[in-house]
Amino acid sequence: MSGETTGNTPAAAQPAKRPETRFNRRRLAVLTGAFLLITVNPFLNYYLHIDFIQGWYQSLGVGRLWFVSPLEGLESLLITKSPYLPSLVAMLIPVLIAFFLGRVFCSWICPISFLLELFDRGRRLISRKTFLRHRLLVARKLLWFVLIAELIVSLVLGAPLFVFLSPPGLVGREIMMAVFFGKLALEGVLVIAVILLELLTRRFFCRTFCPLGGLLAFLGLKRRLRVHLQGADCTGCGRCGRACPMGLQPEAGEGVSAYCWNCGECVDACRHHALHFRWQ
Amino acid sequence: MGAGLTCLPLWPGTVGAKLLASPVATNRLRPPGGVPEEIFPAKCIRCGRCVEVCPYRSIVMLDIRAGISAGTPLVEVDRIPCYLCMKCVDVCPTGSLRRIRQQDTRMGLAVINRFHCAAWIGTTLCRTCYDKCPYAEKAIRLDQLRPVIDEAACTGCGLCTNACPVTAPDGGKAVNIEPIFARDKVTA
Repeated sequence: MSGETTGNTPAAAQPAKRPETRFNRRRLAVLTGAFLLITVNPFLNYYLHIDFIQGWYQSLGVGRLWFVSPLEGLESLLITKSPYLPSLVAMLIPVLIAFFLGRVFCSWICPISFLLELFDRGRRLISRKTFLRHRLLVARKLLWFVLIAELIVSLVLGAPLFVFLSPPGLVGREIMMAVFFGKLALEGVLVIAVILLELLTRRFFCRTFCPLGGLLAFLGLKRRLRVHLQGADCTGCGRCGRACPMGLQPEAGEGVSAYCWNCGECVDACRHHALHFRWQ
Repeated sequence: MGAGLTCLPLWPGTVGAKLLASPVATNRLRPPGGVPEEIFPAKCIRCGRCVEVCPYRSIVMLDIRAGISAGTPLVEVDRIPCYLCMKCVDVCPTGSLRRIRQQDTRMGLAVINRFHCAAWIGTTLCRTCYDKCPYAEKAIRLDQLRPVIDEAACTGCGLCTNACPVTAPDGGKAVNIEPIFARDKVTA
């Protein structure tokens, strides 16, 4: 958990009245649920022939309700230049969520986020450090260039790249391949690479190299839900900055920036209730 | 990573060509309603919903060895043919599998190899393909007890290929599905 695990006196944890890990616990529950959905579903499909739900977070079909990941849909649309209405309608809900809530898919649903969260917690069992030092920092703006480069490369190749090399999609695909065909696809090493990069810098892939994250961040530029700083209550202790998986400084007001993915780690980490989610 | 991938198809030799090559070949077909191969890898978002929904497990998913076609669906009719239940067509979110009727499906065209077919070379009175065809008397009929394909009705489902008892020296069957419609051009 994000609470101080290193030898603090119990009294130090007392002043906070509300439970300190409100959002973290909820987020872990949602992440686990979202991961279980794509883990259990192939088994239901394969062994029980219950095909009410199909797919994973590239495109999910729940009965007649379809979702299509915005970047995958956009790539398909740009390259073939022929719009397909069901695909556009299916992209609507994810786009609206990103538009109003920002990159919440990344922090609250994405299976990669779940695996990284597990990895983090597993690592904390072994090492005493709550957070590792960021060993490699790259300019945040790179996120936009990665998105643009990905689209251009796909257009040049004439085939969408992210659809078969996206780590979030690969997790679902590997689980399905394992259940259906009893084998794993080689491209799954990308997932392992992304998880290992976590040792280099927290959420190294997510914060700058995920084109889907870039698109969702772009859609969420004018989002309604933001982490706001109440300047009067802030003591400048820097806990929020250490807790932020994206390497932002909420105490400097970066919770409203385009790079924030509304995970709520900083809100939980703040001992002085200076950070809040606010709908505006 | 992106730059490296862009350059890969430009590599000399066969490596680059392989990455862009289509996995569709004889008896290796796209599921029903598949758009032509020219745009299939571009249109398909590799969501795997057709694979999950297929009740016969006919559709397999390709991996990275298929180059840019990684993750796209393929029906290997000599392994498991397509039973034309049309479930995959209903769930495709991108229109890579067009919503068509069963009888309008054109996954390919069955072609009888008259030098291998037992009925045609006169070894025995085999009519397995005729019996198995879902459009018997339309897609396959018997002409003097020898099977003949009618290309106007054949859906290319591969039930005949799967059932054919003859294995040709080249590894195929006496009746094979040729993906002739996958080679259609959509761009000028």
